[in-house]
Amino acid sequence: MKLTGPLERVLRVLVADPAAQHYGYDLMKAARLPSGTLYPMLARLQQEGLVDSEWEEQRPDAGGRPPRKYYRLTAEGARVARLELARAPAARGTSRHVAAGPARPMPGSAR
Amino acid sequence: MSGIRPAQQIAERLIRSACRRLPADERAERLREWTAELHAILDDESVRPSWLRGMRALAFCVGIAWATRQLSRLAPTTSRSVGNSRWRSGAPRARPNDTAVRIAVGLGVYAAVVAAVIALLRVHPGPRGWPFLLLVALGIGFDGYCLADIARASQVRYLPKWAWVLICLAQTPAGGIAYLCAGRVGRARSAPPSPAPQP
Repeated sequence: MKLTGPLERVLRVLVADPAAQHYGYDLMKAARLPSGTLYPMLARLQQEGLVDSEWEEQRPDAGGRPPRKYYRLTAEGARVARLELARAPAARGTSRHVAAGPARPMPGSAR
Repeated sequence: MSGIRPAQQIAERLIRSACRRLPADERAERLREWTAELHAILDDESVRPSWLRGMRALAFCVGIAWATRQLSRLAPTTSRSVGNSRWRSGAPRARPNDTAVRIAVGLGVYAAVVAAVIALLRVHPGPRGWPFLLLVALGIGFDGYCLADIARASQVRYLPKWAWVLICLAQTPAGGIAYLCAGRVGRARSAPPSPAPQP
């Protein structure tokens, strides 16, 4: 896992309270990320088993709003996130480009 | 709240059309998730005035369109859906320098036309003179060319065809130039014969 800036922001929000449930808009506001960045990232984290999701139960007091999908860190995810975040400031402080490795190729350019 | 309803309808349509790109087994769940998020955005009382929530909802949808593109790459190839619209996300991206050349040429032509029209308007001022009519004719001709090109193209890049049509019509020279620079798939070289190939 390569810790990019947006990923770091999401992990910080999730790690702040690992038991808390977050829905997408909540994370978008807290991590200040657009939806186009957040959802692919969550999907990747979920594929790697670091995040899991569950559907909110429909409550009668919800005022008719549709149930939301909630995300939170798995136990493994919390461990990995803490580890990566602990390493992050050092990597960022020195030489960011070397530490971060080559930039991710633009989507579509890899074929 | 009056600004919210149309925004919600547009946004729901955009999400539905973005979800078509996803594999069939993911589609319904994502649609439910994002529709719920849309409600969360539009009901977020901390964002005022209400039209700002509408704007946020639309921005959310633009992001979703981007996200589904990424997610469909993430999904295993076998279950990837075959889109039912005529435009395909499979349209190859332009090589960057190709796009740069096209943009440079487009802007150059645009600047030349503007300069020529300004020069002519100085000689023949007023809204009735022939330079003005020439300008209108050029605009109509250029729009017609772009629309014909979109209509004949088997696929276009980045946006659906109807969106390119709107852009071309809304901003007469600039929209058409944007289409020719970014949206047009060069027929001679890069248009694949079938809509099948995927990266």
